[in-house]
Amino acid sequence: MKIIKTRGPEVFDIELEKDLLAKNRRLAKENRKRFDRSNILTIDIMGSIGSGKTSLIKAILKRLGMGKEVAVIAGDLTTTIDAERIETEGARVIQVNTGKECHLDANLIRQAIDRMKLDGVKLLFIENVGNLICPGEFPLGAHQRLVVTSVTEGPYTLMKHPYIFREADIIVLNKIDLAKAMKVVPSKLEKDARKINPDAPFIRTNALRGKGIPEVIRALGLKI
Amino acid sequence: MHEFSISDEIVRTVLDTVEKNDVGKVLSIQLEIGELTLLNAEQVTFWIHELFKGSAAEGAKVIVKTIKARIKCESCGYKGGLTSGQQDHFQHPIPCTCLKCGSFQVKVEKGRECILRKIQAMR
Repeated sequence: MKIIKTRGPEVFDIELEKDLLAKNRRLAKENRKRFDRSNILTIDIMGSIGSGKTSLIKAILKRLGMGKEVAVIAGDLTTTIDAERIETEGARVIQVNTGKECHLDANLIRQAIDRMKLDGVKLLFIENVGNLICPGEFPLGAHQRLVVTSVTEGPYTLMKHPYIFREADIIVLNKIDLAKAMKVVPSKLEKDARKINPDAPFIRTNALRGKGIPEVIRALGLKI
Repeated sequence: MHEFSISDEIVRTVLDTVEKNDVGKVLSIQLEIGELTLLNAEQVTFWIHELFKGSAAEGAKVIVKTIKARIKCESCGYKGGLTSGQQDHFQHPIPCTCLKCGSFQVKVEKGRECILRKIQAMR
């Protein structure tokens, strides 16, 4: 820290140059190193409230049948509803209640992995808080970031939230069975996705029925 | 949307510095916020003023400077700003394509910061 005196002896400047968002990015990198050392493929699942994040994780777990080799960090404001839903699929689950915070951050994940028994775990899902804004700005150290959106969110979600879809490695359009009822054209949403993020695979799913789940699993680089 | 938590961290850093540097009163703080962050400067300023209340920094001026976005194109090497992409209704710059060659392989060099640059204080 450099102290520069200006305007006489009483008033002075303290130069800090502290980047407050960089702190999270640094912690995320440390988390990534820990995942790499333990050979744990980590996937951050983001998406809006009710888009089907938990249902998608459940469907993937059911299909993989890896039992306790999979761990899930379930982020939520205050309930354990999602954690309980996932637990029925046999994975190890830890709940992170953010209290009032609208997103998980790298520090919360670090604390969660400190508390978890990760020996034997090969795959870790982090279910972020339902939100399309903040999580995009807070990397957690995951190897891949998947964003779930659903046709029930209407036809403009991707264009309205380009930041988070730009961050995504995989984009999932869920509740595809309801597209007609919602008067949403999936190919239009796919076109929006291509515009914002041409590299990310765009996969249509009906998580409750397991439709599209093998494609998601393949896109994550996993074997069924 | 996470203005409160960031503001809280800024205030903690300022008050921590105040304690370590024998400061009587904070006159102003200088922030720099990148235009690609999802932080609204007006909300950040509001929360900082609120959180400063009752401390040595109560009433301090909060100066916010915007850091313009800068991208680097991996395809053609272009370095520079972004368009706001208004043709797609985007009112804020989105790092999508290179201005020069249209490639999607752009890397963000600047615009994602939230920096507490300087504190002006009195003994």
